[in-house]
Formats: sequence, C-alpha cells, structure tokens
Amino acid sequence: MKYETVIGLEVHVELATESKIFCSCSAHSYGSEPNEHVCPACCGMPGMLPVVNKRVVDFGMKAGMMLNCHINRVTTFDKKSYYYPDLPAAYQTTQWFAPVAVNGLVEIETSKGKKNVRIKQIHMEEDAGKLVHDIREDTTHVDFNRTSVPLIEIVSQPDLSSAEEVEVYLDRLKNLLRFAKVAECEMAHGTMRCDVNLSVRPEGSDKYGVRTEMKNMNSIEAIKRAIEYETARHIDAIENGTEVLVQETRRWDDIKGKSYAMRTKETAGDYRYFPDPNVMPVVIDDEWFDSIQDSLPEFPEVKRDRYINEYGLSEYDADQITKSIALCECFEEAYSVCKSAKDAANWIISEIMSILNKRMITYDMLKINAHALGELILLVSDGKVGRANAKKVLSDMFDDLTIDPLKYCEANGYIVSNDTGLVEKVVAEAIANDPKAVADYKGGKEKALMSIYGKCMKELKGNCDPQMLRTILIDAINKI
Amino acid sequence: MDKDTFRRLELLNQLKLTETEKADAFAFFGSREKERLALDKIDTSSVERMVHVMPIMTVVREDVAVQKFSREALQQGAPETDEGYWCVPRVVE
Amino acid sequence: MKIYSSKLDKKSDKAIVVDDMLLTVDMPTSAGSKMLDGYMSLFEAEAITRLKANGYDIVGKADVGEFSFDLLGETSCNGAIVKDGKLCNASAEILKADEAVATVNLEVNGTVIRAAAQNDLCAVKPTYGTVSRYGTVPVACSGECVSVMSRNASVCREVLGVIAGHDDKDGTSLPEPYEYTSGVRRVAFLKSMTQGIDGEISEKLSSFKATLEKNGVEVCELDDEVICLSNIAWNILMSSELCNNVSRYDGVKYGHRAESFSGIDELYTNSRTEAFGELLKKTILFGSDNLSTENYMKVYDKALRIRRVISEAFAKIFGEFDAALMPACSTLSYGEDYLQSNKDAAFTENFYTAPASITGLPAVAVGGIQLIGKAFSDMMLLEAAELCEKEGK
Repeated sequence: MKYETVIGLEVHVELATESKIFCSCSAHSYGSEPNEHVCPACCGMPGMLPVVNKRVVDFGMKAGMMLNCHINRVTTFDKKSYYYPDLPAAYQTTQWFAPVAVNGLVEIETSKGKKNVRIKQIHMEEDAGKLVHDIREDTTHVDFNRTSVPLIEIVSQPDLSSAEEVEVYLDRLKNLLRFAKVAECEMAHGTMRCDVNLSVRPEGSDKYGVRTEMKNMNSIEAIKRAIEYETARHIDAIENGTEVLVQETRRWDDIKGKSYAMRTKETAGDYRYFPDPNVMPVVIDDEWFDSIQDSLPEFPEVKRDRYINEYGLSEYDADQITKSIALCECFEEAYSVCKSAKDAANWIISEIMSILNKRMITYDMLKINAHALGELILLVSDGKVGRANAKKVLSDMFDDLTIDPLKYCEANGYIVSNDTGLVEKVVAEAIANDPKAVADYKGGKEKALMSIYGKCMKELKGNCDPQMLRTILIDAINKI
Repeated sequence: MDKDTFRRLELLNQLKLTETEKADAFAFFGSREKERLALDKIDTSSVERMVHVMPIMTVVREDVAVQKFSREALQQGAPETDEGYWCVPRVVE
Repeated sequence: MKIYSSKLDKKSDKAIVVDDMLLTVDMPTSAGSKMLDGYMSLFEAEAITRLKANGYDIVGKADVGEFSFDLLGETSCNGAIVKDGKLCNASAEILKADEAVATVNLEVNGTVIRAAAQNDLCAVKPTYGTVSRYGTVPVACSGECVSVMSRNASVCREVLGVIAGHDDKDGTSLPEPYEYTSGVRRVAFLKSMTQGIDGEISEKLSSFKATLEKNGVEVCELDDEVICLSNIAWNILMSSELCNNVSRYDGVKYGHRAESFSGIDELYTNSRTEAFGELLKKTILFGSDNLSTENYMKVYDKALRIRRVISEAFAKIFGEFDAALMPACSTLSYGEDYLQSNKDAAFTENFYTAPASITGLPAVAVGGIQLIGKAFSDMMLLEAAELCEKEGK
C-alpha cells in the first residue's frame, strides 16, 4: 500500500524587539551574561504587573498580515500553568482564546509545484528561560534572560506531506518574516524553533493516523532527517506491526538518527488555561490596523517581478537578490546611486554574496553602506578604478561602514592614471625586458601579448584603463 | 471528588497533603460542589463572560529597554546560586 | 501579633501602617506565609510611594492571614490573634490602639470590610482600578483592591484621595480623571443579603437605616437572589486565580526551600508542602480543579458569566438607588472556637463581602454594616458613613 505523511508545524519565532513582552528588560538575550536582563517580574517575584509592549502587537499583526491571516481586532492574553525550572512564575502568559491572527494561507513551491499551506493561528506569548545542564555536577543552572522575550507561535494546519515541503515552508516563513523585519528567524540562534506533528495514513484516506510530536527542533537538516525517520517508523508499525503507535511527544536524537518517546509526567498537558485578569483586552482600532498595513513591505514575489520588468534583471538575478530583504535593500540603494540595475545586481551576486558565503554570514545579516557601494560601482563603470582594486575596496567596506570610495581609492592609489607618458614608459621598459615575448607575438602568438600586458598592469598597480594600455602596447610593439 | 483526581491535583500543584488535611479537603470540595449547584440554575447561555470588571482596554507601552535591577540584588534571597545562575537539582529531559 | 518596625508613633497624624500584602523595601514582606518569611522586595507598592510623597510615614506593617484571604488573619504563619476569646485582626488592633491614623490593606476576600465592621472602624474598598495594585502580593487579581481602614471616614477619604489615581505600571488601572459622585438620596436595603446574620447585626442594620432616614435619605427594601450567589462564583474565581498566583512559590528563586529533597519535583513539593498552611493548600487544589479541561467551561467559565449577571443586577439597582445597604458579616465577633464549627468560614462568611469583590464595586464598612455603590461612588459612600459616625457621637 502507498502511504502519505501528514505534517503540521508549530513554529516559534522570537520577535526582534528591544524589550521583553511584559516588562522593560532587554530582549537581547543571545550571548549575554546569565541573568543580566532580568527584573522581579521576569524572575517570578511577586508584585509587578504585566504591561504590554506595543511593538509585540505590531509585529504579531504584521506577521499575521504577511501570512494572509485575519487579524482579531480584540485580542486577549491567557495564563498557562505548569512547573518547570525555566518558567519562574510557573505560568506562561500566552494567547489561548483570542489569538492575534487566525486563518492564514502561505503559498509554497516545491519540485511538485505550487501548494497552499493553511495557517490555523498566530499567537503572541512569552519565551521561557534557559537551562544549562552541567554534566559533571548534579545541578542544573537556570538563566532567566530569555524569560518573557516575545515570541509568536505560528500554527499550521496539517497540510504538509514531506520533508521537502517542510523545508520550503520554513524557508518561506523565514523569508516573509524577515521581509517584514519582525524576526531574525535563525535556527542556529534559537530565534526560530519548530515542533513537528506527524502522522501517516494510506494515500487518499481522509482519516488521520496516530500523531506524534517532536518538540523543539532547531535545525532544518535535523527536521528533515526526523521526518524521514518518523515516517518510516510509522509505516513500519502499520504494515508490520513492529510496535503500537501512540499519541505522544518524542525527542529527536540527531546524532543517533532516532526518535525516542519522552518520559512524560502523569500530569503532562494539563495546563489549566484561563484569561489573565491583569492584562486587559488589546483593542486594535482602525488607525492602528491601518498603520501596520501601510508599513508592510513589498512581498518577495512582487519585488522579483518588478526587478525583472522594471529593471530588466534576468530571472536568475532577481531570484538571487529576493532571497533576502537585506540584499534587496542593498540592491535598491546601490541602484539609486549607480543607475545601472545590471551592474548593481552583478556586484551583489558575484561579489557581495560570495564574501558573505566565505565569511559564513547569512544574507540577512549583511551590513554594508549600500550608498557607498553604488558610488564604487560608478567609479568602476566610469573607468576611474580598476575592477580588481574595487574588489579590495569592497572587502574593506564590510569592515568599515564609513569608507567613502572615492577618497579611499585616492588615498590607497587605486585611481586609474590618465598619464599616457607613464604608461608609455612602463610599456617601453616591459618590451625591452622581454624581447622573446615580443618576437613570439610578432610570430603570431596572441598569448605572448597578454603576458607583457599583465606585467605592465602589475607595474601600474592596476590603475590603468585596460583599453588604453592595450592600445599603447600594441602601438609600441608595431613600431619595433 | 475521587482519590485519583485528588492525587492528580496534588501532583499538578506540587503539594502532598496529610491524611487529616485530605479528609478536610474532601469535605471542603463537597461543600463547594454543593453550593455550585445554585449557579447551574441560572441560565447563562446568552451571557458573555466577564473577565475584567472594568470595560477598559490595554494601554500599551513603548518598546524601550531599561535595566533597573542588578542580578546580585535579585539573587539576594535565593536558596542556591552559582556564578550568576539560580540552581536546581539536575533536570533530565 | 507580629508587627514590623519600631517607628510606631502615637502622636503623628501622618502615621500609616500597611498590611503585609504590600511590598516594602525597608521591611520584609511575608504575606502571612512561612513561604515568604523575611522576604525582602526590591521595590515598593505604588500606594506607599504616593503616601510618602504626600508626607505620610509608613510606621509599620501589620500581619495578615496567609495570602490574606481568610476571615481576619487567623491563618498567618505567626498564629492567630485572640483577645478575650475573640478572633482579632492585626490592622484593626493597631487602629484601636491608636498607633496609626489609618492602615492600607490589600482587600482580597472581605477581611478588611469584616475587620472594620466588627471593630467599629471605617473601611473603604475602592472602585476596582482606581488604586494601583503595583507592588502588592497577587492573590485574586480580578477583584482585589488596595483599601483603607481608619477610625473615621474622613481619614479614609483623605488617604484614599492620596493613593487613588492612574498608574502606568498597572494595566488594569483606570484612566483619570475619576469623577466621584456625591449626595446620597435613595438607598436600597438588600433584604436577601441578610441571611444568616445574628441579632446584633440586625440591630446595626436597623439603626443605620434609621440614621439615613433621619437625614432625609429614602430607604427601600429590595430582594435580589442573584446577588446572593456572589460568593459561590467568587470562591471559584478567587481560588483559581490564587492557585495560579501562588504557583510561583516553589523554593527555587527565593523563599522557603525544603532541606531534604531528591530531584526537582521533590524540591517543589516538599518546599510548598512544608511552607503552606492547610487552608491555602485546599484552596489551591480547589482552584486548580476548577480550571481542569473537564471543569473549565462548566465551572470557571460559568462563574465568569455569573459575574456579569451579578454586575448587571447591581447596575439595575443603581439605576434607581445611590447605594445598597447590607451586612458586612454575620456577627460582630467570632469566638476562638468559631472556626472549629465553621471550617470553611473564609468561603461562607464572604457571602456578605463577595458582591463587592466579584464586581469591583466600591464598598464601605461603617457602624457594623456595609454600603456598596456604583463605580466612583467611593466618596459618596464615605459621606454616608460620616452621617452614621455623627449619629454615634
């Protein structure tokens, strides 16, 4: 029998705000000293009351709009209770009854074509703290920096059916949320985490099979492997009766390549949700709603089509640049200065993206003075700076955002010389030093010319218009 | 209230009652259950729930980070800390 | 009776004692619980900050029952206060001894109204949201209010005037200005709320009624069965909110940690089991049960709907009347054996105080009785209290 896998995802995304969701502690927990960004509220002490961070609601709405959701104009917060050392108040404030966004739709495109993934809801909530397990000791260390950092949880319907679809869906979410600048979505930083709900059923069946959940997955590769493994395990259980499938939470061990049933407490899942009496309903009036709608970015596809139709970029180039909002912004800014979309795209794709790859920086983390990039491109296209030197300048521009390309090139002697006298002198010396090459060229070996040309260019430190050097060189040889 | 449910409530709330306390709690649950029957007589099917007694909405705050409390002060009354962390017995997942 | 601070000064007319539910930075806050014995807060209650800014001295802290939802404070980890065979309340004792002009208390479940009514004091539980709850130990947040108790109504009014006002740090704080009403013309005497009262309370009600009438106030008898359900619904809401609010006390961050445990769950369970009292424990379990998946809709959600029904019943009454007169408690004193025969007194004696708790309406206790008014009638209720006080003199 043929089987199909049914997958629904719960994706947790940390919102890129300055402060936490209900208190004013810094939300930048990544890489801080333990318990540096905490206050009585986020370490569970009595007496402080939650005050909602406006930007969290802004971002929640924005995410909802990017994912074609209906926005609940009255959205409320609820308490979810359970004991775990990373949860200092023993409850998490989340949205159970009226989440900020519901009923969305995300279009994905895989090798099998286009498909819609329905979004059940997006809710805002606070993150839990971090536990550091010391293997040598019998102690777990608790760090509340991440406690109350704002999250959105994006809950999909069980519309995904393969590891490939999951990967494309997650990429799509990432891209959309990054375009809207609401989140970093970096699994390696823990700013995007994923719970995978999976079941298997005979193809064409309308009944769901037994569902298992793998929590807190934080790498795309691990998710893909876990899906493959679970799918096979489920099919094996159904076909061969190797085990009895039960609805449970499982942990994925990526090193062993296996999933394990998690030891769960008898009381697991009994969260006793109830509306938080201390947080009044958040009412989103027209003005607020409109201001968020007006702030939505151009969607990636719209940008891509515009780049092709308006700027004449190739499909490949447009696809490459719209992979990241940072690249798009860099492109648009550089283009506004250099006025050549082709040149701007070319520099970004062949130079900037390769530098980022080499330095292992994700495209979205690109930090460069794009205005200056436009000026640099102009210097090259105007023949004022050689391409090889311009690449050196670009590399330096990654480390120093204040570089003014023209001044920098002047200071470093990268400006192309118009001094024909100097070029003629260098050419004369080169010819004199290499009579063999001259003879070879005259004898019909085109390559020999390039050897002398290269030596001249090197002597001139790259600061010579290639066409000028070539003309003077050929003239000089012909005169012999 | 049955014994299993009661045990589950104890587990959920990290409490362990003595036999005397339990007997008293059972009686207490019984009284509450009895008085609750009076509520069931009121038809509330067309009544909206009232979480907040005052009909106001959230006043949001601007997204500005402020650090007002030091870790040292926050951990002053802590039963056990180590290098800036609170400590608990090892939690195994 | 445990009272912190040695600053008690009889002569000062600016001396205020706060109860142990308000966080202070120069004195510990224990909320009457062994769990928080000696707990030092890093910030103080907004009400305290406002009092200090207006020249008041916080001269001490009065003990409370564990998380202050019992009868009069008898469940404090420091023990009950019993005088002449009667249960006493720490704040009321301080006022009777003239050691402060007023006490500022967190009113969770009627303790303040009861204590005032039984000790011939005046207390006001203000309109919910008019006094910031910032810096109070949370118990039943949807109904509890920072309240004032004093020997006379005029001091209550003065102190309330100081602590009331919008506070950005409390999301449930009402926006200003507060338009307080004044002038009592018609009062509804809620006959159905007199169930269970003894002769003395009955007399107090009659005499208050007479005073009002003597002062040209029309008093009409009224029956409302729905309002009588207040404490049943309130017991559910209060216990569940309490259960959630005290779940943070687990022996990890601060407070009592058991000496012996193995593993995290034992740490939690032993710490909580050792530090919490009997009433608190069963209330936690009851509150938890109300929120279970099976019970949520039929119990908790039901109570939330009943809350609206009760609020609407009051709204209807206040369409015609300025205030509602009713008892504050069943008797003028509880003997020390009262609790033996009324084990769940905190959940039954609040029959009289729960209507104001569950609706957030202002209530004033004076002359052994209680007046409830519509939102922002706080000052008007205190005016009526003053009439009663004048009559007494």
